[in-house]
This record gives sequence, structure tokens and C-alpha cells, in this order.
Amino acid sequence: MYKYDHIDQTLVDQRVIQFRDQVERRLNGTLAEEEFRPLRLQNGLYHQRHAYMLRVAIPYGLLSAEQLRTLALIADKYDRGYGHFTTRQNIQFNWVELEQTPDILAELAKVEMHAIQTSGNCIRNITSDAFAGVAADEYIDPRPVCELLRQWSTLHPEFAHLPRKFKFAINGAKEDRTVLLCHDVGIELKKNPAINNGELTADIYAGGGMGRTPILGSLIKQGLPWQVLPSYLTALLRVYNRFGRRDNLYKARIKILVKALGPEEFARQVEGEWAQLHNEAKQSKDNFTQAEWERVAKHFTKPAYQKLNTVSNEVILAATPETERAAFARWLDRNVKSHQIPGYASVILSLKPHGTVAPGDATSAQMNAIADLADQYSFGELRVTHEQNLVLADVEQTQLLHLWRAAKNNNLALPNIGLLTDIIACPGGDFCSLANAKSLPIAKAIQERFDDLDYLFDLGDISLNISGCINSCGHHHVGNIGVLGVDKDGEEWYQITLGGEQGNDASIGKVIGPSFYANEIPDVMTSLINTYVEQRTGDEPFIETYRRLGVTPFKEVAYKNNGKHSKGALA
Amino acid sequence: MNQKIIYFPKDGQPTIIANEWQVWDGERDEGGIPDLEHGLHKVLVPFHWWITHYKNADIIERANRGEIGVWFAADDDILKHADLIEEGKKLWPVVGAHFPIFRDGRSFSTATLLRDRFEWQGEVRAIGDVLIDQLLQGARVGFDAFELRPDQNLDVALKQFDLFSVVTQNSWRDQRATTAA
Ligand code: HEM
Ligand code: SF4
Repeated sequence: MYKYDHIDQTLVDQRVIQFRDQVERRLNGTLAEEEFRPLRLQNGLYHQRHAYMLRVAIPYGLLSAEQLRTLALIADKYDRGYGHFTTRQNIQFNWVELEQTPDILAELAKVEMHAIQTSGNCIRNITSDAFAGVAADEYIDPRPVCELLRQWSTLHPEFAHLPRKFKFAINGAKEDRTVLLCHDVGIELKKNPAINNGELTADIYAGGGMGRTPILGSLIKQGLPWQVLPSYLTALLRVYNRFGRRDNLYKARIKILVKALGPEEFARQVEGEWAQLHNEAKQSKDNFTQAEWERVAKHFTKPAYQKLNTVSNEVILAATPETERAAFARWLDRNVKSHQIPGYASVILSLKPHGTVAPGDATSAQMNAIADLADQYSFGELRVTHEQNLVLADVEQTQLLHLWRAAKNNNLALPNIGLLTDIIACPGGDFCSLANAKSLPIAKAIQERFDDLDYLFDLGDISLNISGCINSCGHHHVGNIGVLGVDKDGEEWYQITLGGEQGNDASIGKVIGPSFYANEIPDVMTSLINTYVEQRTGDEPFIETYRRLGVTPFKEVAYKNNGKHSKGALA
Repeated sequence: MNQKIIYFPKDGQPTIIANEWQVWDGERDEGGIPDLEHGLHKVLVPFHWWITHYKNADIIERANRGEIGVWFAADDDILKHADLIEEGKKLWPVVGAHFPIFRDGRSFSTATLLRDRFEWQGEVRAIGDVLIDQLLQGARVGFDAFELRPDQNLDVALKQFDLFSVVTQNSWRDQRATTAA
């Protein structure tokens, strides 16, 4: 995992000093709130419904046990004993004091962490595959590129006040686990013998995003050598900085510019700008160098794996006491993923036990326990997934049973990964000041309704995503089932979308019709799920059945059995 | 206008000096540029105004005396006027780039293009809603003079430039530290 050198450490330490000064000026009144706002946002400090919230960067989702312990400490010392892992692989603390944020940042800096550019109209924290470096289907470990670009984007002077926020995702595996096409820029890494002598290259997708106008990104450049990423991305961002709309907040994202110009014209303009930047006289200056690559890549080497043989699940289960076998088998099936190295597996710890306060929440006690598990079973490292779970990436298969038992003791072992109750949800009206409706009680009610693990297992992969408003922090557009909080005459309603999908076949869900009251949602879900169960053929997953049948049968049952609009909210 | 500016030449130290240039918005003084006899002698005129007036004899004369510079609005596409700007290199002692509001970052790209594309050697001055916390970014992209909004504390402003001793991307002023390591 990446280790700071004196350059990284100096930068982060000096950033703490800078932000401390900015907070002091805010507190003594020489800096107006309106002018402080973008500054605090570029440090991940929001003002939410009840208090300040601090979003801490977890670059490409990678954490050490020591860092997680510091997060636990921050939760205890400066917050209310928990943190919230987000869909962008960050962590949020919901109850911090403005006065204390510089101290929190100083605490973070001690363990090579920060909150730089986790919000605001700048290049945000870069996300990637939570299974980077270990996934069996990976062809390139994307992390050195992620890290090089993290450094390149950190406190970038030209792009400090873009029209809107700017999000990168980077993928290097066959299956896309990064929601690549829903990012302002998606970078797909390739090593193709036919391109650039088989050297590492990047395909660039631009103009994706969710929010009010969900759009999937378009391919605008192929086969870009990794060394020239700084100049190409500079060109791309410069076009956006100069010509992105600033008159209307809702039209300011790059997706609107790309759509207005058309991807071809946008690509042409970027190319024109890049040709100027990337001429021979200048390219040696801006390109990433081999030395820089080595400087970061040396930290992403493989841990000290043992020479082991792959063990099949049958063998593992045969060695499991009978009383535990059925439950453990479920967990193996849902929460354990295949690995590049024989004898190892990656384990997903579910942060979505049924009836949880909020998907993605972890208490400080859990964080400390997870840090211990990481030390004991996974070389002291872990990852955050954009589905708001945590991953121990390098577990010996023979240790899985022990790990499962320990995870169970900490309420982290629910075998619901990828199932209906593995809900992605934003904090919604309980915390967020922008919300139109609550999302957490909806998530909880659905988990309570679908509490039967056998049944959930039988349903198989279904993604359910909930956002409290059109900003789409809960990614509802790419959920097979999406729930969106809407406001009608000051009341909370919920709109359902169907057919969204993340991954290689990413698609944006369609609204099925008028919205529902909160207390109708569990019944609506039941109707939708029953229809799927009746209509599926064999093992067909929900999304396939939906694609085969279209929206009509689902829509009919949703409104036939429900939609009476009996008033009432969920507790 | 601010009577003082921060001047921070590329290879020098930031200092506070007297402001010799007034920024004219092109709107008032219908007869033409402001009265230079009674105000400051040097004026930054809007670039769009320059485009339509630079052939006037009195403007040429004053420009030749080094009394006229131009300022670029945030939405001026300077690449579309490359020829005029090339000619301007010999004429304008100072150019400005305007921040209509501090959180509008277009002029950061304008300054970058002036330095990088046009190889502008003269002064590039940040004008408009220029606040203390934009100075560092401005200094790096190519600004070497800052007329801050008058309510800003210049002593606090001056301290900003010492905050960071490392940077992680190339800019007009410095190469990224990560190549040296
Ligand atoms: C303080 C609470 C929050 C506020 C005020 C907030 C604000 C926003 C806003 C304004 C947008 C809309 C951007 C657009 O126009 O596209 C947005 C989108 C988004 N936010 Fe949040 N958010 C909050 C919490 C979260 C949380 C908890 C998560 C993750 C669980 C999150 C992740 C996202 C994501 C993934 C998007 C989708 C943006 C896209 O790429 O189109 N946010 N948020
Ligand atoms: S989707 Fe809306 S309600 Fe939910 S966190 Fe984002 S801004 Fe807040």
C-alpha cells in the first residue's frame, strides 16, 4: 500500500497549517461564511442538517489497519462514536465541530491521511476497484496510476475552481466495479500488444454522471500512453474549465458540455488543446516519468504471500463443524471472492446487517475490531467498496472459518453481499440538508421486510439503491431497483426506477410512474420481487428478467397492489 | 480600486507596492478611456474594447507611451484573438485577467495560456474579486501581480506564499517535487 515520502508528508502537514489559518480567520470574522464555504468544501467540510460533517479521503479505497484505528479514534474523540463509509470510498463523520477540524486533520496527517478535495468544485478523490491488485479478473493493477493522478490532482492550481465537481474513476479489470461510465472521467487501463508495443495505455471516457441528468460517459480517446496522462487530462480539464457552463448549477457538470457539443466535437477540442500542450518541446516536462512510476509502484507490490494450494469450497466445508456448515456456506458463497494467488481469497465484511442504522455505518468498536481482523488475516490492509462495505483482500482460504467466526462476533458477517438487502443508501433527510426525503428508514423497512436469508439467496443478485434527492448520492439511477426521494407540496414521496445497472453493461434506470408514500414502499418491493419470481426462467437474475419483459408487468403490479397513497411515513 | 498591489515576480519575493494601474470597465467615460491627466496615468482597458478601438490615433499614441494595458474577462476566449495578443506583447506593459467572483476559475486557465501558449513575459495581474485564499493558485498559474479586493488584509495575504514548500504538479512557477525524489 502506498507510503508517504517526505514530499507527500510535507504537503499534507502544510495543508493542515493552511486550513487551521483559514478556520481561524473564519472564526475571528475576517473571512465571510460565503467565502469560507468553497475553502472548507475543498477540505471535505460540509454543513449538514444538524452539524458540520467532515469527509475524509480514502484514495482508491485503500486503508491500513493503523489508519482505520485512527478513524475509530476520531469517531470517539471528535464525533459520536461512528463513521459512515460512502459510495465514493470515503468516510464521513457527521458530528464534528468547526473549531476542532484542524485538530482532526492533524490527527489524520499522522497516519498519512487527509480530507483534501473530498468535496468542492475541484478534482475529487479518485476512486477505483476495491479489489485492485488482487481480483482474479484483473489485467492491470490500477493503483500506481491512481496514485500518480492523486498526486497530480492534489491542490492543482489551475483547476481549483471548476464549474462543478469533477470525479475520476480508474479500472483495470475485466469486470467494471468502479461505475466507470458514471464519472466525469473514466479511465480504463489496457495492455494490448497491438497498441504502443503492449505498454500500459488508457482509454478515456468523459461526461458521465448521475444527479439530475444521468448520462453514461462516452469514449473520447483510446490507447493513450500512461506517461502522457497529465497533459491529456490537463487539456480535457482546461476545455471544461473554460467552456463548462457557470450560469446554472444544474448544467455545470462536464456531462452537459459533452452532451451539448457532442462527444466527437468535445474530443476534437480536447485533442486540439492537447496538441499544443503535448508538442515535443514540452512533453518531457509534463509526462510522468519512469522514476515517478517506480517511486509509487514500489509500494503496490504483493504482500508476503505463502506458497499455498487452492482449496475448493467443498473441502473447506467438509472441514467445518456441521452446526456451522450451512451458515458458513452461505457466507462463502456471497462474501468471499476469488483471488489471483492460489490459496487466497478476498472477503467482504457486510456493513449492512439487517436493521442497521445506516448502510455503510461502522462504530468505532467495529472499526477497531476490523483493524484487528486486517492485522490478523490480511496483512494489515483493507479496502472500502463503493457499495459501502469493507474488504479484507488477502485472506488465506484455510483461515476463512476463523475469520467468519470473528466477523460474526462483530456483526459484520451477514451473507448479503449483492443481495436485495445490501442496500446502497445516502444519509438522506436524517442528516443531509439537501434531502427531499428520508432514505435510511426506507432501507431499514426493506431490510426488515426481506429478512429471510434463504429467500434472499434464492432471489440472487439484485441491487437496490436509495437516494434522498435527485443529487443521487445513493446511485439510484444504476440500481436494478432505484428509490428516489421526491418532495411534493412539502411531503416526502418516493419514485421508483427499474433497470439500472452498474458494471460492464451499465445502464440508467427508468421511472415507472407516479411516486409512493414511504409506508407503501415495502409492499411495492414485495410486488416487484414477486413478479420477478413468477416470471424468471431458471437462474435468470432480476436484471435479465426485467430486460426481457420490460417495465410493463412490473409497473402493473406496483400500482395494482399499491399506490393507494394512504398517507403515512415510516418511523 | 486598491491603492496597493502584491507584486511577486517569478524569481523574486512577494512585496506590497503602490498600484499604478487603474482598471477601466469600458462603460463609463463615454468619450473614451478615462482622463489620464487627473487620475492614474495608466489604465487597463477591457480587451473587447481594445478590439474595437485600437486603431484610433489617440489610443495608439497612449499605448506607445506605455500607458495602456488590457484586461481579459473570464469569458474572453483569448485563443480566438491570438494575432492581436501577439501584437499586444510589444504594446502592453501589463495585462489583467478578471475574476468576476472568486470562485470562478476561468482566469486561472487564461493566465496559464498567456504564459504557456503566448509565452507572455510581461506582468499578468489578477483583478476583480481577488481574495487572500486564491493567491497561491494564482501565483502558480502565471499571475505575478494581484490587485486584491480592497477589504482584504494585505499583510495576511503576503504570508500565503510561504505556506507550501512542495508541489505535486508543474506550473509556471515551479516543477513538481515528485520528479526530483
Ligand atoms: C452532506 C451530505 C451530502 C451532500 C450535501 C451532498 C451533495 C451532493 C450534491 C449536491 C450532489 C449532486 C451533484 C450533481 O449535480 O451531480 C451529490 C452527488 C453525489 N454524491 Fe453527495 N452529498 C452528500 C453526501 C453524500 C454521501 C453520504 C455520499 C455517499 C454515500 C455521496 C456521494 C455522492 C455521489 C456518488 C454523487 C453522484 C454524483 C455524480 O457523479 O453524478 N454524497 N452530492
Ligand atoms: S442524494 Fe441528496 S439527500 Fe442524499 S446525501 Fe445526496 S444530497 Fe443528500
